[in-house]
Amino acid sequence: MEKQELETIIGTLGKRMNRQLKEYLDVCVRCAICKDACHQYVATQDMTYLPAHRAELVRAVYRKYFTKAGQFMPAVYEARDPDEHLLDDLYRSTYACTGCRRCMYYCPFSIDTQWVISAAKAMLIAAGRGNEMLGQLADAALFKGDNIEMFRDNLVEGFREIETQVRDITKNPEAEIPVDRQGADMLYVALAGSHSILPAAIIFNEAKASWTLSMFEAANYGFFFGDPDKARLIAKRFMDEAKRLGVKEVVITECGHAYRVAELFYEAWAKERMPFKVVHILEVIDRYVKEGRIKVDPRGIREKVTYHDPCQIGRNGGIYEQPRDIVKAIAPDFVDMTPNREKQWCCGGGGGIVAMEEFNEVRLKSGDMKVEQIKATGASVLACPCENCRLQIGELNEVHDLGLRVVPVMDLVVEAMGFGHAAGTTGDERDAAEAVV
Amino acid sequence: MDLFSFLVSGIGVYVALVVFTLGMAWRVWQWMRTPKSPVRLGLFPKPKSGLGRFGKLLKDTFIAPQSVEQAAPLMAAAYAFHLAALGAFVGHLRLVHEFTPLVSILGVEGMNTFAAWSGGIAGVVMLLAILFWIGRRTSGAYKNLSTPEDFLLLGLLLGVVLLGDHLRFVGGLHAATYEAWFASLVALRPAFPPALAASATRWALDWHMLFVDAFLIYFPFSKLTHAIGAFTGNLVRSSD
Amino acid sequence: MSDTKPDLELDLRGLLCPMPMVKVSQNISKVPVGGTVRAVATDAGSMADIPAWAKSTGNEVVQAEKVGSEYVFLVKRVK
Repeated sequence: MEKQELETIIGTLGKRMNRQLKEYLDVCVRCAICKDACHQYVATQDMTYLPAHRAELVRAVYRKYFTKAGQFMPAVYEARDPDEHLLDDLYRSTYACTGCRRCMYYCPFSIDTQWVISAAKAMLIAAGRGNEMLGQLADAALFKGDNIEMFRDNLVEGFREIETQVRDITKNPEAEIPVDRQGADMLYVALAGSHSILPAAIIFNEAKASWTLSMFEAANYGFFFGDPDKARLIAKRFMDEAKRLGVKEVVITECGHAYRVAELFYEAWAKERMPFKVVHILEVIDRYVKEGRIKVDPRGIREKVTYHDPCQIGRNGGIYEQPRDIVKAIAPDFVDMTPNREKQWCCGGGGGIVAMEEFNEVRLKSGDMKVEQIKATGASVLACPCENCRLQIGELNEVHDLGLRVVPVMDLVVEAMGFGHAAGTTGDERDAAEAVV
Repeated sequence: MDLFSFLVSGIGVYVALVVFTLGMAWRVWQWMRTPKSPVRLGLFPKPKSGLGRFGKLLKDTFIAPQSVEQAAPLMAAAYAFHLAALGAFVGHLRLVHEFTPLVSILGVEGMNTFAAWSGGIAGVVMLLAILFWIGRRTSGAYKNLSTPEDFLLLGLLLGVVLLGDHLRFVGGLHAATYEAWFASLVALRPAFPPALAASATRWALDWHMLFVDAFLIYFPFSKLTHAIGAFTGNLVRSSD
Repeated sequence: MSDTKPDLELDLRGLLCPMPMVKVSQNISKVPVGGTVRAVATDAGSMADIPAWAKSTGNEVVQAEKVGSEYVFLVKRVK
């Protein structure tokens, strides 16, 4: 390895060093309690995915360059250079990690392996080994942010088409999808696809909410790539929009990591207090259902429904009850998976892994526990408020022939709002479309 | 004192205590001077009040219910070892000063019997826990994950405990003899009392102390900093 | 519609954004430099996503248009 490359990698780890990372690297006793917490390790029994081992690769470098003891007795600590071999291992273990932090939940010292992984990603990026796909997706989002005028007409045209659908479904000719509305109470940040706009727009219109739709998508591939600067800039696109429009709340769609980035990370990254609250769309819908602002049929969903806690809004975001309350309000036959809430198994689709073909095998295998959990409920509908989880569970559904309908919670709400058959367009149309593929 | 005794049971004790104390202070200072993570790293759910969070910190650190759920045998060994180590530490305080109120209740003979039992149990429990841990690290994922540091620490602990158990079960010397040696250490004039110097047990004591010294000297430079890191890590888990 | 036959055809109908962009990105390396990928998607978001991806990666969108309820792209691999 060239001296300069080595210095870059070590310098990057140095820049990322903070108290928590240092403690996590210092105190792990390698008890391996985390091994049975990680869905990837449990499913594959491959050391690459054992959380303590993932961190141990960073620790080996840390020992050699950041501790006197490691420099004095490298053999005792297995202190190593970040050579080609180590970087290869690090790449596989790091970008495969879905960042679910189930290992942290079970660790007796609460070591946050994902925090170590984030330092590992920084090292890989410094070595020119960041995941190319995630990097490209992050850059595309940044490009869109920097050149929004180039895309505005296309985007607005798309929004108008969805608006027409909203009017057809709700039979309300006044229903609208406002964009750039100054002084609206809420800025709704959806995904790039219309599927995350249509049901929310129906609900907002029925609730007569004061809202406006963001020009930008919530998904943040900078976060998955492992570059906090890119991640900040991607989120900044809609945060600046929210400031400009003077909204009271930024409402994040059913996308796990986007909520965590906006609610838990952004202010720290931007070093700035935001003049609005960040809330999850299901917090808003839960409010509407409980206040009676939208009318839902308590028996609107007749099938047996279960709910998947996405790690990023559950364990890592604190939203457990609102989605369940919503589902219970429309589906009399609700059953929870076991385990659930903070003990929920990761479905295996987080961390951007669904976009990285090279991890397809471990990704699908790592869904084994989720498949068993779902089967045990006997449910035929899975309510799931996270795009990555839906992509993963949707694929598990096909591979394992589960016969499951995997739907966003807000789609179920729209189904239960009694617009007749048309309301099902969000789910059914997609099923039909998927069947074509 | 012969040279070996002087090195390990005399001057070595001072060196070990100084390195341990300064080393741990240095490690904590290193943590303190490194800026905190800018982003929030807590896990949900977490208590809303400060007191609730403090309670959760204590529960997560001393009971670690989640870890027990995941790895009951390991955690049973961990509980047993840490409790026995605490008991052994308290028992050793008797060498600094006899627990007079206990002696007045139990009598001198009763106190020696109590010490023999409690110290014996602690010593055996620690030994079993260490053997369990060594065994656990010899196969499968545990073996692959282990580093020489893990075995070095277990080796040092095994030495401390085996020789401690030897002193407890075979040594045949009572607290008063060791107390005189401890007093000489406190007075900065380390020396063995005649009974100890003349006893064959002296060799076991010297080797016990060699392992104790090495263990304490190595402690701040090892993963044993989890003695403090467990609290700070679990604090972050529940903090805002 | 472009007259030249693309080197690779991608049916991305039914995929939700950003997956059409992901699939184009994953497959672009399968055609030679100068070659083209023709992709058909149904998610409106791809009209912004795929051109943005092309611009930021230095590839070229030769064609991006709505045909009925579908979005058709012809992407040329530049490097």
